[in-house]
Amino acid sequence: MNLDGSAVLHADPERVWSVITDPAVLARTIPGCESLEQTGEDSYRMNVSVGVGAVRGTYAGEVRLSDKDHPKSYVMHASGAGAPGNARATVTIGLEPADGGTTTLTYSADAVVGGPVAGVGQRMMTGVAKRMAGQFFSAIDDELTGRAAPVAAPAEPRPSAAAVSETGVAAPEAAAAAPQVFAGRAAAAPAAVGGEVRTLALGAVGGAALTLIGVLVGYRLGRRP
Amino acid sequence: MTTKLFGEPVRRREDARLITGRGRYLDDIGAGALAAAFVRSPHAHARITGIDVDAALDVEGLVAIYTYEDLTGPLAEPLPVLIPHPQLHAPRTGYPLANGEVNHVGEPVVMVVATDRYVAEDACDRIVVSYEELPAVVGVDAARAAEHAVHEEIPGNVAARHHQETGDVEPALAASPHTLSFTQYIERSACMPLEGKGVHARWDPDDSSLRVHTSTQASTSVRAAIAAKLELSLDAVEVVAPDVGGGFGVKIVHPWPEELLVPMAAIALGREVKWAEDRREHFISSAHERQQRQEITVGYDDEGRVTALDVHIWHDNGAYTPYGIIVPIVTATQLVGPYDLPVYRVVVESVYTNTVIVTPYRGAGRPQGCYAMERTMDRIADALGLDRAVVRERNLIRPDQFPYDHRLTFQDGRPVIYDSGDYPGLLTKLKDLVGWDAVEERRRDAERRGKLLGAGMALYVEGTGPGPYEGGHVQVLGSGKVLVSTGLTSQGQGHETVFAQIVASELGVPIEDVEVTTGDTRRFGYAVGTFASRAAVMSGNAVALAARGVRAKALRIAADALEVDPQDLEIDEGVVQVKGTPGASIPLRTVAVLSNPLRYAFDEAARQATQFAGPADDSRPPVAEGDAPGLEHRDYYSPVRSTFASGAHAAVVEIDPATWEIDVVTYAVVHDCGNVVNPMIVEGQVHGGVAQGVGGALYERMAYDADGQLQNASFMDFLMPYASEVPDVVIDHQETPSPLNPLGIKGAGEAGVIPGTAAIASALEDATGRRIAAMPLSPTQLYDLVRDETTERTAQAARRTGVPA
Repeated sequence: MNLDGSAVLHADPERVWSVITDPAVLARTIPGCESLEQTGEDSYRMNVSVGVGAVRGTYAGEVRLSDKDHPKSYVMHASGAGAPGNARATVTIGLEPADGGTTTLTYSADAVVGGPVAGVGQRMMTGVAKRMAGQFFSAIDDELTGRAAPVAAPAEPRPSAAAVSETGVAAPEAAAAAPQVFAGRAAAAPAAVGGEVRTLALGAVGGAALTLIGVLVGYRLGRRP
Repeated sequence: MTTKLFGEPVRRREDARLITGRGRYLDDIGAGALAAAFVRSPHAHARITGIDVDAALDVEGLVAIYTYEDLTGPLAEPLPVLIPHPQLHAPRTGYPLANGEVNHVGEPVVMVVATDRYVAEDACDRIVVSYEELPAVVGVDAARAAEHAVHEEIPGNVAARHHQETGDVEPALAASPHTLSFTQYIERSACMPLEGKGVHARWDPDDSSLRVHTSTQASTSVRAAIAAKLELSLDAVEVVAPDVGGGFGVKIVHPWPEELLVPMAAIALGREVKWAEDRREHFISSAHERQQRQEITVGYDDEGRVTALDVHIWHDNGAYTPYGIIVPIVTATQLVGPYDLPVYRVVVESVYTNTVIVTPYRGAGRPQGCYAMERTMDRIADALGLDRAVVRERNLIRPDQFPYDHRLTFQDGRPVIYDSGDYPGLLTKLKDLVGWDAVEERRRDAERRGKLLGAGMALYVEGTGPGPYEGGHVQVLGSGKVLVSTGLTSQGQGHETVFAQIVASELGVPIEDVEVTTGDTRRFGYAVGTFASRAAVMSGNAVALAARGVRAKALRIAADALEVDPQDLEIDEGVVQVKGTPGASIPLRTVAVLSNPLRYAFDEAARQATQFAGPADDSRPPVAEGDAPGLEHRDYYSPVRSTFASGAHAAVVEIDPATWEIDVVTYAVVHDCGNVVNPMIVEGQVHGGVAQGVGGALYERMAYDADGQLQNASFMDFLMPYASEVPDVVIDHQETPSPLNPLGIKGAGEAGVIPGTAAIASALEDATGRRIAAMPLSPTQLYDLVRDETTERTAQAARRTGVPA
């Protein structure tokens, strides 16, 4: 299903682009990133862990970027699987200059999810997503406004969890929420900074995380009565 | 029925298990299951403006949170109107989880699933639901006034206008020598089974099958409802009613939201999920019954014979009508009781209120109907200065009038035609049993002791055993064990005992060899349910027919083996023998073995059925054409219409004029349910019914305030009678067999509760000389009633004191 939303960041598009694609920044701002590696041109693999309710667990994710139009837009293809479930999403991200030198980040996502995580109820998943997004955006904005926190110590990489069996009842509504959960997890804990290759990669994945989180927020807002 | 077990007071076989803690109730199942808990509406009528679950996310052990948005397909539609009726012109049902609006306190809004119930409740506490309150409609009079609507699009709050008449009532009333009119009320009560509702669901992802245990009175229909609502194939769903700790009607309603939501969660999460209703939940989100406003006009002659009866009732059906208008129909059609009424017209307006739904509670509209009819008889007697027993006697249907056609249509859509009965016989027995003619003497004796004594009586006829059908399966195993199953469920009535008695009697086997299974769709897939005093009539006859089929087959096989004519065989104590020829016999268990020709001898018994075991007729196939392996038979009983049981109760009350405490000093019951399978169980049913009747007459009420908040939603405040309040009951039996079924039986489940309110109201009126027009009556209300100068005095009181009323 399609999910749309936006977020306002306190810097112009050029700076936002540089930040959301700066691995060093994203290493500090994406909670839960445990390991990360480049697997090809604009494609990366990362392990993230999330710690809320039934969506607790480690997910192995893959992210690929395409149609990059600096500093205006790009398309991200993300997929992930973990004990709680599996998810797939295609997200188009756009950056627009806004008043007072700020940037409006818009996103449009098409997501599918399966596994038990698809069954925990959308209110719960959007609740998790809202919280993750809040953390991520404030961290990014702190970077942009120079109020960033010190870097956390590197965490030990963990093996990625295998995808779980389908229950066969991934309701469309619930399905929409899962990628959010996947991303929400990616944004859930202090992150690590790695070597050069990883550093490069972090940029794109950071964008992926941000975008998916954005989806969550947009989804959440979109559902408000 | 000549065999000795039928009609004997066989001790209940289930009791040892149930009273020593070896029963298996819903909450005994699924120890490792996740627990569900519900956020329920705190308002009687409101719009939901928001649901914030954020604070709940931090609860350790939280697994899932579901709201209406998570419901898909048929599950997102309103719950079914189980019993549609042309006169139910504005049916409404709720959603499994509230969809934007709540219509009574207790309506489920959010379901939380967690590692255990405590965690689930903690998460529920942290979920914030915002509401925009709407005006609440509480009580039948408020619904009638219709200043506000429960459902916006139904401004008059009327769900149904049920109307039946047997003639032109106005001219009949106009031509009557006397007429009188009055209005009276009866309050709400509820079933209050010891065990509340409960559901456990287990999903097997490997074969995509669902097994649900639920504390229900209708497992086959719950199965069908789950399959339909969750879009599963019927064969992928099994529903089992384990031991059920009482039902009394509330568990015939289905599917309850929880019966759909718990399986939904089990499937979504791939985990076992369980919900066990707590007492407060039962008070505010299960079902109630009884509240009615009754406006009655009766015409009668100088002898007190009714010439015409016109009844207009307003029936409070609560917020929704999932069970249709069954209760109004039952009130309308059972009101006439044992009386021969020339012309009768009844209108029941079923109205919506912002309170818990109203569905059948033991008696199911009959106590209200009996209250209307019997209080009318009391009024006629009072007006004419006649003995209340005499007026009743003059109006009774005579034994030679059966089958008696009331020209009404019953809850099963069939005509109200009384099959058999002896009502004058009931009345005579009742007067003797309670000492009706000695009441004045007892009154004087009580006066000497400073007490007010009064007596009252009430008669009833109860339509029992409505269709459409029940089925039974009987199978004799090679071990000699006899397996009996029926789809209808048990809630402690003693089905294991009575069905075993019936089969043992029909088949000629020791009752110890008989094992009965009820309410398990894995064993028997077709059934209707346990309600309307129908288990003994419906499943009793079904298992009897199944047993007769097994007997016929056993005699045929034994006749071959013994080379005699089946006519010459009999079965006794599990042995088929040639009549009058000792020794020429074959055990039924051996017949069972022989009924299934075998190639492989897996044990000694099987060896007898193998191909080289004995001489065989080479010209015939081992299994004859049209025959089947195994000594078993399945059969169904489907009645043309209901049977009509009857009874008469009398109560003698003593009132202490200092405290106005009410003591029921004598309670007499004469009961007629046709042939009795087990008199001990029938008496137990009567005792339990009387206890609920007394509770409904003197103690129980649902104390809703004007905002629709239930003020007494606990056993501290809702007064169920203890053994200390339930009077000793003296019982006399009368047996007029039903011509409608093979066993000649009628139902007995609800009988005891029906006349309680009417008889006790009559006794209170007799004791105080004050008109009693609202029940139940507490000592405080009685005190106020007597103190109030404007309270109407009875003519009888005036006659006694010589003061004109």
